[in-house]
Amino acid sequence: MLPNPVALVPARAGRSPGTVIARLTARKAMRSGLLWGYIFGVVVGSSAISYATIYKTQAERNQLEAAFGSNNATGALFGPGSQLQTVAGFTVYKSFMTLIILGAVWGLLTSTRLLRGEEDSGRWELLVSGRATRRSATAQALLGLAAGGATLWAITALITAVSGRYSKIDIATGPALFFAVALVASAIMFLAVGAFTSQLAATRRQASAYAAVVLGISYATRMVADSGIGLHRLIWVSPLGWVEELQPLTAPQPLPLIPIVAFTVVISAVAVLLAGRRDLGASILPDRPAHTSRVLSPSGPLGLTVRLVRSTVIGWAVAIAASALLLGLVTKGASGAISGSSLKQVFTKLGSPGVGVDAYLGVAFLMVAVLIAFVANGQIIAARAEESGGRLDHLFARPVSRSQWFSGRLLVTAAALLGCGVIAGLFTWLGAASQHAGVRFTSVMSAGLNIVPPAVCILGIGALVLGVWPRATSIATYGVLGWSLLTEIIGGIGSVNHWVLDTSVFHQMSAAPAVAPSVSADAGLVAIGVASALIGGIAFNRRDLASE
Amino acid sequence: MSKRYGSTSALEGLHLEVTRGEVFGYLGPNGAGKTTTIRLLLGLARPSAGRAEIFGLDCQSRPVQAHRRLAYVAGEVNLWPSLTGAETLHLLGRVQGQVDPMYRDKLIERFNLDPSKRVRAYSKGNRQKLVLIAALMSRADLLVLDEPTSGLDPLMEQAFRHCIHEAKERNQTVLLSSHIMSEVEALCDRVGILREGRLVEMGTLGEMRHLSTLTVEATFDGTVPDLSRVPGVISPIAQGRVVRCQVRGSIEPLLKVLAASRVRELLSREPSLEELFLAHYGPIAEPEKAPTDAA
Repeated sequence: MLPNPVALVPARAGRSPGTVIARLTARKAMRSGLLWGYIFGVVVGSSAISYATIYKTQAERNQLEAAFGSNNATGALFGPGSQLQTVAGFTVYKSFMTLIILGAVWGLLTSTRLLRGEEDSGRWELLVSGRATRRSATAQALLGLAAGGATLWAITALITAVSGRYSKIDIATGPALFFAVALVASAIMFLAVGAFTSQLAATRRQASAYAAVVLGISYATRMVADSGIGLHRLIWVSPLGWVEELQPLTAPQPLPLIPIVAFTVVISAVAVLLAGRRDLGASILPDRPAHTSRVLSPSGPLGLTVRLVRSTVIGWAVAIAASALLLGLVTKGASGAISGSSLKQVFTKLGSPGVGVDAYLGVAFLMVAVLIAFVANGQIIAARAEESGGRLDHLFARPVSRSQWFSGRLLVTAAALLGCGVIAGLFTWLGAASQHAGVRFTSVMSAGLNIVPPAVCILGIGALVLGVWPRATSIATYGVLGWSLLTEIIGGIGSVNHWVLDTSVFHQMSAAPAVAPSVSADAGLVAIGVASALIGGIAFNRRDLASE
Repeated sequence: MSKRYGSTSALEGLHLEVTRGEVFGYLGPNGAGKTTTIRLLLGLARPSAGRAEIFGLDCQSRPVQAHRRLAYVAGEVNLWPSLTGAETLHLLGRVQGQVDPMYRDKLIERFNLDPSKRVRAYSKGNRQKLVLIAALMSRADLLVLDEPTSGLDPLMEQAFRHCIHEAKERNQTVLLSSHIMSEVEALCDRVGILREGRLVEMGTLGEMRHLSTLTVEATFDGTVPDLSRVPGVISPIAQGRVVRCQVRGSIEPLLKVLAASRVRELLSREPSLEELFLAHYGPIAEPEKAPTDAA
């Protein structure tokens, strides 16, 4: 007699197997949405509190409105300033554009990670080999991503609404919730854009790059529309423009929600449609043709590292050049607003004393320093991915020493950081010089180089974690960067114990060109970075290679 | 060597010597410790105790020198997706330091690989071919192969066997970890069987068969004799006039009993490598007990 077949037991009572992908995606997207919602809320809350704390008198607030309210240059960058003499107006001005761009980046990266990234890893194949078709799987994933977006909104709304109840801020719950809608609208749209480009591209990196191009065009179009040259109608062809037109807290307009919702729904539907029209692992757009050139082929670990980091570093260099150029372009206008205001106190707390162009640039370079630190972080995480992905086995099973690869990787990254510093200085000077802001080339270039040591320090700390505790590389490096940034922001607003402030790598950096770069501080940061990297290298040499 | 991961023992007191020019088959089910052994040999992981040498060079303290003389094929192939096949071969060849270009071209043809494609466009089988070519083209003195034919079709598996025969003719040493018994049986001079991190059997196939049981099947014309008390005979099973049994050690006592009976047909055969392997995993080979409850 044949034995009884194995009895099939439902996976879990009450849960439909038809929603597995939606739940799986939702879990990951909600985790990320939770974290970023917290960051959004803190940024909004801190902007409002800082305004209430710094601009105490009506005179100071009026001065701020006069300086930035009709400034086309800053309007092009951060959106037009409106009602800057109120907490609500300033909060929108200070945080809105930054957060909607950040939200869009979060949306596109989350979407491409959970769609194209899953496909690249082969996990998607397992999921769609069950009941789900390619289309239904994509639709489910989009639902999961929507849950992530909803989480982002919920946390942002909660913190914004709670902050609004503070008597000095006084933002009602309704407007606070609408502000949160506006803040996450770009994130929701770019979740859909990421899903769409995941169908077009052959890899996650390509999908993210395509979505980033959409974001770049959207931002550039909005910039032109807000630059005061009579092309404001262009705002209606830019997704970021629609978000801007919601005008939360100052003059709420729900009408732009129509194009936002329509865009999201249509792009999502097209993504689902395209998912069914291509093979798994293939792309709608043809993959770039392979070109084999002996001259460009990597011939060793160092050449391989250069080849692998090339496109990412170029992308960052372009982003840093663009940011530096914009910061340079507004130097003249922005520096005028510092004199005589309480903003001077904040700048002083941030290490950039005085007034005028140099004081403004001192803080502007702090912002670029954060970008360069992200480059360092990204490269350490990419190095860890080489190990966890098993690709290093092919090198280390051959006559390649671990220290050779490790040091080569760090040196290439350090060279990239240096290049980014030079680019930051050069493009800031170009922007400022074009507006006759009266900045000296040498002082701006030295300020550009001055922001490299914090990034080198973070790179070294990342290398230490990679060597000692590889699985914690990502969380530890972002932890150091996040802590440094948070400490610096809070330090700029209120009074923080100097021991705490000293733990921020950015606080150790001189605010050049407002003050002369400190050779001893820079040397100290580099020394910490090098020493950490050396210890990390020794640990890396002595441990097992660790998979994911 | 031994290797522990926390409280889990992945490898326990492994003592193994592979002589120059031999093809050594390394067998074991998933999680038995085969890949762990290879990672320890390559210096990708550190042993908890013990040491290993390759051509007299310590695997941990002098890995670079040892690796100049070996080539490795990983069981799970993860390569750089943005490189083409040709770029990958160029990179790995330059890193290895020695390539036989004519043999590389021959291998590309034999394995029917298009090296102009990007790695991300390759199927699993083609990625496997790529790492096989990268290893074989170096003509290294030692080939360390961790399930090298996973994902290959039967034709390509034949091509692989041909390459190993060529390597053997050139006096290259091969450590072949595999699940495919026919492959190991066809290629290997000696075999080691690993179970739960311990080497439970090692020797040539002949030696292992000699130590193992012989399967005997006899068909009788007359009365079927009782074989259960014959020395060396294990678990005889009678079905009508046919008796099947296993014989351990000398077959002479059984032959004496059979000679006294009217035997019409007598079949005997040595165990296959698969049977030898399964003998070490008895509980796995046992049929499942029928459930008592009706479905």
